Amino acid sequence: MGWKPLQCGLQCACFVLAAWTAGLVVAQAAPHTRVELISRQTALRPGSDLQLGIHFILEPGWHIYWINPGDSGQPPSLKWQLPPGFAAGEIQWPRPERMQATPELADYGYHDETLLMVPIHAPPLINNEQLRGLRFAVEAKWLVCREVCIPEHANLELFLHSGAVRENPATAKLFAGAAKLLPIAMPHGWKAEVESRKDNFLLTIAANRQLTKAIFFPLDPGQIDNPAPQTLQPTPSGAKITLKKSDLLLKPISVLRGVLAIPGGPAYRIEAPVRHPIQ
Amino acid sequence: MKTFRHLLHACALMALIAPAFAVRVGEPAPGFTAVDSNGRQQRLSDYKSKYVVLEWHNQGCPYTKKHYESGNMQRLQKEWTAKGVVWLTVISSAPGTQGFVTPSQENDYLKTMNAAPTAVLMDPGGSLGHLYGAKTTPHMFIIDPGGMLIYNGAIDDHPTSDQGDIAGSKNYVSTALQEATSGKPVTEPATRPYGCSVKYKD
Repeated sequence: MGWKPLQCGLQCACFVLAAWTAGLVVAQAAPHTRVELISRQTALRPGSDLQLGIHFILEPGWHIYWINPGDSGQPPSLKWQLPPGFAAGEIQWPRPERMQATPELADYGYHDETLLMVPIHAPPLINNEQLRGLRFAVEAKWLVCREVCIPEHANLELFLHSGAVRENPATAKLFAGAAKLLPIAMPHGWKAEVESRKDNFLLTIAANRQLTKAIFFPLDPGQIDNPAPQTLQPTPSGAKITLKKSDLLLKPISVLRGVLAIPGGPAYRIEAPVRHPIQ
Repeated sequence: MKTFRHLLHACALMALIAPAFAVRVGEPAPGFTAVDSNGRQQRLSDYKSKYVVLEWHNQGCPYTKKHYESGNMQRLQKEWTAKGVVWLTVISSAPGTQGFVTPSQENDYLKTMNAAPTAVLMDPGGSLGHLYGAKTTPHMFIIDPGGMLIYNGAIDDHPTSDQGDIAGSKNYVSTALQEATSGKPVTEPATRPYGCSVKYKD
């Protein structure tokens, strides 16, 4: 499959102009990645937030990383250039995959295609001159790997004008799909607690039903041993999961944060207090 | 007697292929024998009274390149070997993978890059890498003259492939060596190593 870098000449410039007027964007290609900056809305209204997203399409077999990449790799980073008064929020990371090639290490990330959504907070007032067209730009840097790793980067931009805010039909499906992949808060009544033992943490999930399959993705590096198998013991109302401690963990922690992903089901945000039983 | 020897060999083999041998700071560093890029045998026990740095290396990895193309790694090697520290670069890339080199290719690389390790250990079978649980390139270990592991982790605190980040980074290896050689405890003995995964044999 050919992934030729975007050749840009007069034709390209004209296309960009046409695309801008239409509110569309031009994808950029790096050797193993196609990437574009897209908007959920077709226009913006002063005082209302926008949702933008960096859409990655990866060459088959290649992957990028989650906010905690695991034992190797590096997550994508974004440097925004926004119009005055606008502010970018944090990347909303979809639930990751677990990748393990050797006994030494496991990484967390994404294959094929992913949309990293970012909320953009708009100021209450935008001056009339700006309303004709606002430029949102981002310098994206990421590491894409298969057997080898390659740092890639792209300068992306998007122009939006003011107007009635409508969902962009060209991007609606992508944003809806990405939203479904976001970890959600645990349902009301569920509880997550951790007991710290000598070599592992015991994560107890008190849910409203038995859980037979779940994978825990730690948010903070250096707490959990990434490649170690997680043993899950179903209980009548949830599960107990044994998580081997990382060799890097030298001091006790008071909270364990991460994502608990149910295969074929939701992924839950976990922020569990850690108990250290007195020996 | 034969059965016992077989058992011993089996156990030794198990130790090498067992997943993730835990190499923890504050514990004795595992002994090893390896062949260097000049065909000489190198044993950890040869350096009993010295500080030893182990540097996992893959010349094609962007994170290794960050420290070599900037001259940062070579500077560290020169500074610390001049002070009597033994610096062993280790290559655990399997044949056919990124970072794998023949001994003469490695010696050419050392000349071109003006690198100054005490020796480069050729570990294409990955046994030394597995023994230490080396995860990334670079991944740094420091062993004190008593044979204790006193550092395990990243080279510095900016886990990127940008050379521009080196100047503002805290170098964990230098800091640990400075502290240890002046009789102080190492304040950050275990950090998350960053880089490309080590390309082990399947």
